[in-house]
Amino acid sequence: MSAVHERVLAALERREPDRVPTFDVMEEYANIYEILGRRPFPTGFLFTNRWTSRIVDKTAGLLNRSQIFFAEMDRFSYDRTEAAVKMGYDAAWVMHVPIWKFQDSKVAVDIYGRQYDVIVDGRGNLATPMYKKGLIASPQDWYGWDKRDLFRLPERANRAFRRIQKDLGDRIFIMPGFLFGLFENTWQPMGFERFAVALRKEKTFVRRVIRFYRDHFCLMLEAWADAGVPGAVYTDDMAYRSGPMLPPALMEELYGDAFRHITETAHALGLKIVVHSCGNVMPLLGWFADCGFDGVHALEPTAGVDLAKVKQLVGDRLCLIGNVDITHILVDATREEVFEAVRKSIAAAGHGGGYMVAPTNSHHTMSVERLRWMLEAVERYGRYPLDLSVPRNPD
Amino acid sequence: MGDMIARITDATAGLEMERIPSLLQEALQAGVQPFEVLGALSAGMVKVGDLFSEGKYYLVDLVLAGQIMKEALEILEPRLAVESLGGKGTVVLGTVKGDVHDIGKNLVANMLRGCGFRVIDLGVDVPPEKIVEALKTSGARALGLSVLLTPMVQSVADTVSALKAAGLRDRVKIAIGGACTTPELGRRMGVDAVGRDPIEAVRIFESFLAE
Repeated sequence: MSAVHERVLAALERREPDRVPTFDVMEEYANIYEILGRRPFPTGFLFTNRWTSRIVDKTAGLLNRSQIFFAEMDRFSYDRTEAAVKMGYDAAWVMHVPIWKFQDSKVAVDIYGRQYDVIVDGRGNLATPMYKKGLIASPQDWYGWDKRDLFRLPERANRAFRRIQKDLGDRIFIMPGFLFGLFENTWQPMGFERFAVALRKEKTFVRRVIRFYRDHFCLMLEAWADAGVPGAVYTDDMAYRSGPMLPPALMEELYGDAFRHITETAHALGLKIVVHSCGNVMPLLGWFADCGFDGVHALEPTAGVDLAKVKQLVGDRLCLIGNVDITHILVDATREEVFEAVRKSIAAAGHGGGYMVAPTNSHHTMSVERLRWMLEAVERYGRYPLDLSVPRNPD
Repeated sequence: MGDMIARITDATAGLEMERIPSLLQEALQAGVQPFEVLGALSAGMVKVGDLFSEGKYYLVDLVLAGQIMKEALEILEPRLAVESLGGKGTVVLGTVKGDVHDIGKNLVANMLRGCGFRVIDLGVDVPPEKIVEALKTSGARALGLSVLLTPMVQSVADTVSALKAAGLRDRVKIAIGGACTTPELGRRMGVDAVGRDPIEAVRIFESFLAE
């Protein structure tokens, strides 16, 4: 086993590695290509240029059928893993999300029934589309929704991750992920207001949707395990800044069995599995551990997550991953601020192992320079036995 | 009659969505004035807010309360005098340009309506000039901006600048809210308040319009 794999596994098993591992969540073309020193074809301009956008408007159906964008996703996942290796990360959450189809140059629809605005990042790259609304207004809509592409996802993911794992898997601990988790896939295609009412009036239908996506997620786990990767990320935003979107007891009632089924399947396949959720997840942490997840990612300080408290609450049951702020620290902070943020996170969660330093999320205004500072800071403060009394001035 | 009012308030606070329409009809048929029914609903919404602040209710409960209020207003509005609605003042709301997220903004709109404000909801992806126009036309003294994502933060600054350029900044108080907002960001953007959740938003706008 490579030193990198041993380091990440130790953290995931709440053992003390040689140093605090680093976990990459990069999802934006601009940063990936800056790191790789490449100038990609600016696909985004096709969608914004006055003339080419008209061509996209007229030929969207043809482009979707040609699967050109799905092939682009394979390349993206490979490149973002290569960029993570080049940066020197220990682990990477590698998204492979061939789920979007373009209605025209402005609007995309995913294979689950959500509508999005197409987003271009200002540097000519397509960015993650912005969720606009759900298209599933009734159980009849859901039953009638064409799900064929959903069942093509596992094969597509298997093919993409076989190549990534073969070429890069010994240098980084690859943890595939895809969109979306069970909670988001239950509410987003119908919209949250409709979902709130459905929880009162159509609970049986909601349960059927959850069961469907539970089984689908297990197919994805099998595809990833078959590709040889060592872990997976279960991606599902379940909280806002104010806390969980649903009461924890209702989350357990609706999703508990499904989550346990997913983690048991992952473990039976030899995969470590980490849950990602944005927002203030403090009231859900114990439940995540009960459901069998090995770790939890995001732990957003700006959502009120106190990492030291998290360590106290579930540090003996979950590997903690993240906590480096992406609203200021990794966007426009000074080198000293970045070092101090990393030092504080390691001080809060690093003792005894079971912590990986990572940004809480990814967006296109994050700075590669500050990500490098974050990694440097881990080298400075993250070696075991921890010595956090190192002078604050990083230079 | 007092009993009916209390039942409406309790049913609203208890999120008894299925019972509310019949309770309203019953109260109106019994001669309870529409503005009294509205008051009972608003009192229920305040209780919902308190339960949320105490950590007993969650986001989904606020959304459900908003839906209850929306459906109740559909029954009441035709019977209410215009002045009964929005007695606490007018708030212009919108999600900033470049951002199409609306859950938080809709929640704030529903809570404000439920608590007696008149709300002009401009929707999502709202350019600064549209906000300025709405403030001018309505004479509103309060503006709420929703922004979920960090890359869209500049749109808040652009809106503040547009208000200044239009000579409205001294008259209009601005609050922001959303996942990426922090007190530090609020200071940098030059707004008057940052709301953490819809309940805090109600308190902020009450304080803005009480001045």
